[in-house]
Amino acid sequence: MKRKKRSFQLNEKQLGYAMVLPSLILVFVVVLWPVAQSFWNSLFDYRLNDPNRSELMLSANIDLERYVDNHFYINSQLEDLASSVEGEAAATITDIKEKINGYHQELVEDEETKQKVEKVDELIMNYQPVTDSDLKYQKIDNGFADEYRDALMSYQDKLTGLASSVSDETVSENINQSADLLGATGETILKSNFIGLKNYGKYLQDTRMWKSLWNTTFFTVVTVALELVLGVCIALLINRAFKGRGLIRASVLIPWAIPTAVAAMMWGFLYDGQSGIVAHYLASLNLIPGESWLLSTSNGGMFSIILADVWKTTPYMALLILAGLQTIPSSLYEASGVDGANKWQQFWKITLPLLKSSILVALLFRTLDAFRVFDLIYVLTGGGPANATESISVYAYKTLFAQQNFGEGSVLSVIVFLCVALISFIYVKLIGSDLFAGRTK
Amino acid sequence: MKLSKYLLPILLLIGLAFVLIACSDSSSEDETADQNGSGSGDEEEVTIVYARGVDTTPATEALIKAFEEKHPNINVKEQEMPADTGQSHDQYVTAFSSQSTEIDVFNADVIWPAEFAQANYALELDRFIEKDGINMEDYFPGTVQAGKFDGKQWAMPQYTDAGILYYRTDIVDEPPKTWDDLIEQANNLKGEKGTEFGYLMQAAQYEGLITNAIEFIASYGGEVVNENNEVVVDSPETVKALEKMKEVVGSDFVPQNILNFQEIETENAWIEGKSVFARNWPYLMSSSNDEERSAISGNVEMTTMPEGDAGSASALGGWMTMINRYSEHPEAAWEFVKFISGPEGQKISAVEGGRAPTIEALYDDPEIQQLNSLFGNPDFREVLQTAVPRPVTPIYPEISDIMQIEISKVLTGDQNPQQAATNMQTKMEAAMNE
Amino acid sequence: MNKRGKIGFYIFLIIFVFLVMFPFIWVFLTSIKPVNEIFSSFKWFTSNPSLSSYEAALTNRPLLRYMLNSFVVSILTTLLALVFASFTAYAVTRLPIKGKGLILGIVLAASMFPQIAIISPMFNLVTGLGLRNSYLGLIIPYITISLPLAIWILSTFFQKIPYELEESAKLDGASPFQTFRKIIFPLATPGIFTTGILVFIAAWNEYLFALTINSEDSWRTVPVGISMYQSEFSVPWGDISAATVIVTIPIVILVLIFQRRIVSGLTSGSVKE
Repeated sequence: MKRKKRSFQLNEKQLGYAMVLPSLILVFVVVLWPVAQSFWNSLFDYRLNDPNRSELMLSANIDLERYVDNHFYINSQLEDLASSVEGEAAATITDIKEKINGYHQELVEDEETKQKVEKVDELIMNYQPVTDSDLKYQKIDNGFADEYRDALMSYQDKLTGLASSVSDETVSENINQSADLLGATGETILKSNFIGLKNYGKYLQDTRMWKSLWNTTFFTVVTVALELVLGVCIALLINRAFKGRGLIRASVLIPWAIPTAVAAMMWGFLYDGQSGIVAHYLASLNLIPGESWLLSTSNGGMFSIILADVWKTTPYMALLILAGLQTIPSSLYEASGVDGANKWQQFWKITLPLLKSSILVALLFRTLDAFRVFDLIYVLTGGGPANATESISVYAYKTLFAQQNFGEGSVLSVIVFLCVALISFIYVKLIGSDLFAGRTK
Repeated sequence: MKLSKYLLPILLLIGLAFVLIACSDSSSEDETADQNGSGSGDEEEVTIVYARGVDTTPATEALIKAFEEKHPNINVKEQEMPADTGQSHDQYVTAFSSQSTEIDVFNADVIWPAEFAQANYALELDRFIEKDGINMEDYFPGTVQAGKFDGKQWAMPQYTDAGILYYRTDIVDEPPKTWDDLIEQANNLKGEKGTEFGYLMQAAQYEGLITNAIEFIASYGGEVVNENNEVVVDSPETVKALEKMKEVVGSDFVPQNILNFQEIETENAWIEGKSVFARNWPYLMSSSNDEERSAISGNVEMTTMPEGDAGSASALGGWMTMINRYSEHPEAAWEFVKFISGPEGQKISAVEGGRAPTIEALYDDPEIQQLNSLFGNPDFREVLQTAVPRPVTPIYPEISDIMQIEISKVLTGDQNPQQAATNMQTKMEAAMNE
Repeated sequence: MNKRGKIGFYIFLIIFVFLVMFPFIWVFLTSIKPVNEIFSSFKWFTSNPSLSSYEAALTNRPLLRYMLNSFVVSILTTLLALVFASFTAYAVTRLPIKGKGLILGIVLAASMFPQIAIISPMFNLVTGLGLRNSYLGLIIPYITISLPLAIWILSTFFQKIPYELEESAKLDGASPFQTFRKIIFPLATPGIFTTGILVFIAAWNEYLFALTINSEDSWRTVPVGISMYQSEFSVPWGDISAATVIVTIPIVILVLIFQRRIVSGLTSGSVKE
């Protein structure tokens, strides 16, 4: 008997892990892995729109596509140059040429590098782009990279100096062109763009980051508070038994069923200072200073996004709380009714305490969502006027996609993550004891 | 055991999911088979994907049809992107940064080529241009310039846009020459024929604010980034221009919510006959004369933008065509680019979509002149000839972002023009040197 | 409740619902106005209503196809997410496994990162799996995004079901999985349906992933599809209003059908003590 029970226990445990597994795998692969990548990206000066920084490089690298292409011309150009000038200048140029060849030999001494160079050369000859980034970038020794790069840069200076001393204009122009070529070749030897926490330091001093963080916090606190109060009221209302409650429940949920992207456009239309009906009514009721106040002033912009968000997401809150109400056994109300408690007392003594965990879970997820608000602001105000409604997610999005600065954009995302993690930690402390009470073994 | 019974619904679900994958997979396989089945040879059939913002006119369809008739071995598939230029930019960035080969040819806003070239998303076209003997001097100089970066041509001009001043012929006798004229007339004429406003422009915090600001700045002789790629925005000319801009935006002849005005708001107020003057792109001419929607049909004419101390300036808009660097069919892609940016393709765009050609000679074509009152108007041609591009730099989005914020702050009264100019100068320099 | 109170209650209800619904009502009124009246007046009712916006909304773009896509994606997301989430929630609240807090924490962490920051890796993942322009390419991310909420809500529900019921089932010889299916799952019906509605609508509403992952028109979902009515410089409000009305009606019907399930279950079940 005892043995049997034991194997039952083991099965239960195995079953438990098996049941958790699919969710965990999905969460890891689809969300946590990208999140880890973002953390890693945030430690680099990583910009897609700059060929010198468009890869994550822990050590020095050489961009073979550009290097091989440039190197192809160096020899012939320098030879032509050497023959077009005389005396000391010619000697200097030949010297430069030989030294560069020396460096190049040193570079291709590495068998792997050599093979890659040959492959890239072949592609370039056929006018084909090098699409494989493993082939395009080759790790090289940091010291050698610095040396080669510095050498190329100093040759560039030397040639530029030489150009100004030559009297023949075409020759001088040719020399300048070669100087530029050497400079461009130097640019293909890439330094490591690992910068550690420097990006974070930058953003801690960035007033725009603090402003957007403040906007986000303000927005979150106000909307979540309003939604909570309204949500509880609506949940209590639609939990009552009355004729037509099904219809009321469905209609209360409508705002939430309209996609945010569409709802934001719709509110833009309703708020419009010329033809927006909501702006028109609010102004004629003297609730706002004028029709144009809503979208063209800082406070009005904030008010607009808060109103739209409360309208749209209160149903979500109401639904969660309504579900929580179902877990309260009606016998409790009956008993307290017998004791002579009125509705108000029942609400404070029974409903609220028993709703605590439902409310906290609802609050937790609403806060997380509100803190990451993006669609609504992006479509409705775009962060304006004068950045008064820019949330930190909108700022991160602009940095990531409009400016293609994936290093700094990731920093902003990580900052959002840290703030949200802190908020969740507080909530979870509050919920935790409640959620697992009574059943831990 | 009984477990199997419970698992049945789940298995069904998973099965359903797999059926769906199978469906979607097979369809995409068919396409890739189509695409991969052909090398770069001329005779084999090739399918290229042409991505562009949503086109509500029949122009794109007509272009593709005409092209496929000429090149039976090349099929073109249109892929619609969001109409909003910012959103489509971000979609392209996502696709190209992962070196996706999905898109072959795409439409690029005039402000993108330098950025996309630097980011290695685009194919340089010089080799093709030379091979096919295309004369870039046939195009308006500003549009060619916008596609140039680092001495190479990365984009072909497809159609162009430039800011123009619209006025009501039933109210205005003599269109204003200078900004001061405009301010005076707008003040005086506001209220006539049921108008509420004197002037409409785009002053919301978005890309359109830059085009409006550039027009002020250039008309007073200021510049943002000069030809040597140096930031020169902090100049007395810029400050003066911003002061004028603030004067216009702060006046009572513009709508109170002018800070929320984009093209859409401008168009709505304008075609309802609410304003005497408006600054907008050429498309507004046809909607002004659309009798079904417009209350002012037949009473609208255009002129050049008002002059500042240094003459009149229109911001250059419009779209270019580029090739994805990782396209698997660059030759076929080029054939298509050549067609749509060539005279034949541009004529189709003009006729079917009302888009302004970038090839100057097309404006001599009587068929095009007849299309609308703009294309035959010598003023309009002059505007296109001299339109001012926004700064051509690979970090344009950052430059634009800085300008949007700083200028928006001037217009809301949070800072004065001099502070804005100084801030722009420091921030742009920092961004350039980073 | 007396009669007067009842009338007052219904009046309050009507005003309340009217205020909540106002934007939607206005969108509906806009959708039946002729195009040139949309911006020109604050008049509620047009004197010559027309259905031309509806016709345009249905013919200019394949709206019904978008709705089909959205339905398939949202329904599959909902079903699969409910299966995964209820497994996890059951294991975490009822089964003797270790690291429950950690599991819930990890799951929660998945909804702490701004979604915009995982678009690029997600795009690469979906492209790598060859799932661009398919239903599954959206379903996988959507399930994952909705798991945290679903798991947490279901956990609070499962946790509230008295343990005695389970014990007695166990004594009757039921396996843990049977207990889960026969006792816990039915008792948590309101939680399951609430979660289902939440997940469904979240999937229905999602915009950015849908825009990025499914670039072909025939695979687009409703939010992306509706945004495609815009052209560069204009927003056809008539079409968009009509499209919004068309896509909202089926959702309302769905909610009408399922709302009863939200408020039954526990209270009517055997939990009464």
